[in-house]
Order: sequence, then C-alpha cells, then structure tokens
Amino acid sequence: MTSRASARQDFALGALHSLPVVAGAVPFGFLLGSLAAKAGLSPLDMGLMSALVFAGSAQFVAVDLLGKGTAGLAVVGAILLVNLRHLLMGATLEPRFRGVSKARAGLALFFMTDEQWALALRRGQELTLAYWYGVALTLYLAWLASSVAGTMAGALIADPAAWGLDFTFIAVFLCLLAGFWRGAGSLPPWIASAAAALGVHALSPGGPWHILAGAVAGGAAAAWQSRLGRDGVGEGGAS
Amino acid sequence: MIPDAMQLDWSLFAVALGGALVTWLTRIGGPWLITRVRLGPAASAALEATPGAVLVALVAPSALSRPSDALAAAFVCLIARRVPMVVAVAGGVAMVVLLRWLL
Repeated sequence: MTSRASARQDFALGALHSLPVVAGAVPFGFLLGSLAAKAGLSPLDMGLMSALVFAGSAQFVAVDLLGKGTAGLAVVGAILLVNLRHLLMGATLEPRFRGVSKARAGLALFFMTDEQWALALRRGQELTLAYWYGVALTLYLAWLASSVAGTMAGALIADPAAWGLDFTFIAVFLCLLAGFWRGAGSLPPWIASAAAALGVHALSPGGPWHILAGAVAGGAAAAWQSRLGRDGVGEGGAS
Repeated sequence: MIPDAMQLDWSLFAVALGGALVTWLTRIGGPWLITRVRLGPAASAALEATPGAVLVALVAPSALSRPSDALAAAFVCLIARRVPMVVAVAGGVAMVVLLRWLL
C-alpha cells in the first residue's frame, strides 16, 4: 500500500532530520543526569522523570530545586512556569492538527519540545503524523538513554563542588537563557525579574518564592512593554 | 556512595507525575486555547517572557553571590551564543575555578 509506504518514508525522514538535534541533546541529557545523581536521584528516578516530563529546561530547573530540598509542590510549580511557553508554541501548530482526532493530537503533543516544534514548523504543509513521530521517538529515546546514563556516571563523582561543578547549573541556565534572547527588547523583563528575585531572595532565602516573583515581574514588564507599543527597544529583533 | 540503580523515591516520583501532568497540559493547551480565546498582545508578550524570566530569577541570587561567580557568569553569557552549549558550560566551570582561586 502506497500510503503505508509513504508513512514509513516520512517516519524515516523525521528520524533523519532529528539527528542534529540528537547530537546536541545527548551531552545535555548526560549533564542533567550527572547533576541529578548529585541531587540524590537514582537512575530509575531520573528515567521516570525523563520519560514522563520530557522537557529539558524544566528538568534542569526541577533537579536544581530538588537538590536544594525544595518542596515538591513548588518544584511542580516551577516546571509549569518554565513550560508556559508551550502554550504559544502549540497555538502556532493548531492548523496542522485540524484533521487529527483529539486523542491522537493529545498523544502527539505530549512529545512537543522546542526542537520538535521547530522541525514540525519547518516541515510546513508536508507535516504528517508519521514525520512527527519519526522526530519525536528519536528524540525521546536519545533523551531517556542519555539522562539515565548520565545519572549512572554522575554517581561516581565524589565532590562536585571541589571542581567548580556547583557552577554548572548557573552556566546551563545562562545558556538556556541565551536561547531566549530576542534582541534588546528581551532585557527589560530580565532586569525586572532579576531585581524582583534578588529582593525576595534577600527576604526569604532558600524559599522558592523568588522564582515566582521573578516570573511575575518579568511577565509584567513584557506586557507593559507591548502596551507601550512595539516601537520601543528593538522589539522582535534579530535572533 | 553509589545509589542502587533501581531505587525509587516515591516523593520524587510524585513530583515527576505532577510535573508531567502540568507539562502535558501546557502542550495540549495551545491548540485548545487558540480556538477559544483570543490572546491580546500584552498577554502573549507576558507568556513569551516567562521562561526567560524564570531562568533569570533562578540564577540571579547565586550568580551574584560572589564576584568570581558573577564574572564567570558574564563570561558564559558572552560565549553562550557562539559555541555549543557543552563547550560554554565547560568553559564557565573552568573560568569559575580560576576566578575563585584568583579573587
């Protein structure tokens, strides 16, 4: 049957197109795993988290907070905040999922990561579910395997702070932050967030409230910016 | 200490399940929302700025805790968009070791 053959072809093409992303995701997953081991997660804990949540930035945030002994509910809240951007990304994919049943779309969208979204958009009108899953399953397996392998290896490192490895989280978060840079217009929300976070952190160090304060201040600054009009500081600039 | 690979912490599992649920809701929520609610430019801008703001809030207190770490953080910001992430992270860690020793 030609449709089945073309589905297989689309799946293979999706898997092929995801390989450059895999090359970037594997060291990232390995790094996450080694930090998770330091935070006290077992390979099984890490594997379940990667399999269920499947969101890189959010998992780094979660592991960092878990390592600091943050309450579970606050960790879930932080995961939600980091993943709020999915709402906007998913909205842009809506036309592509119009002919697909709710159940199928719900399952396919479970796999929507930043990279999945970018590859799907680039595919344009030619996007099929087979292509989607070719990308999704390759990334999923690579993420699962590398984060679990990292946890197993990371458990062998005795004292990470002696090697400056406590700085790893800061470096990772700054790299992730660089990925969100959209020109000078990105700065006001970030400055607002830093100011609010530092203020709240000074009042209640150790608590997760400075994260919420930063998120709210940053969101408010961005909303205010857009209300001022897009003629402000380099809105929508080069990236 | 090498933890048992198959050891499961139930409180961590609960966090993973909760995190999975809220993450999935953000993933299916986009297409659902766009057909029902028209997001204004201000709300869209706020939503779009949130992940970056969360990351800033996460790093700010620890990155600015000591001059050596602040300088290393600035160094990572400079190279982050020019080199692969693993290189930027390794460079940042090397820099912080050097700066903590110097300062």
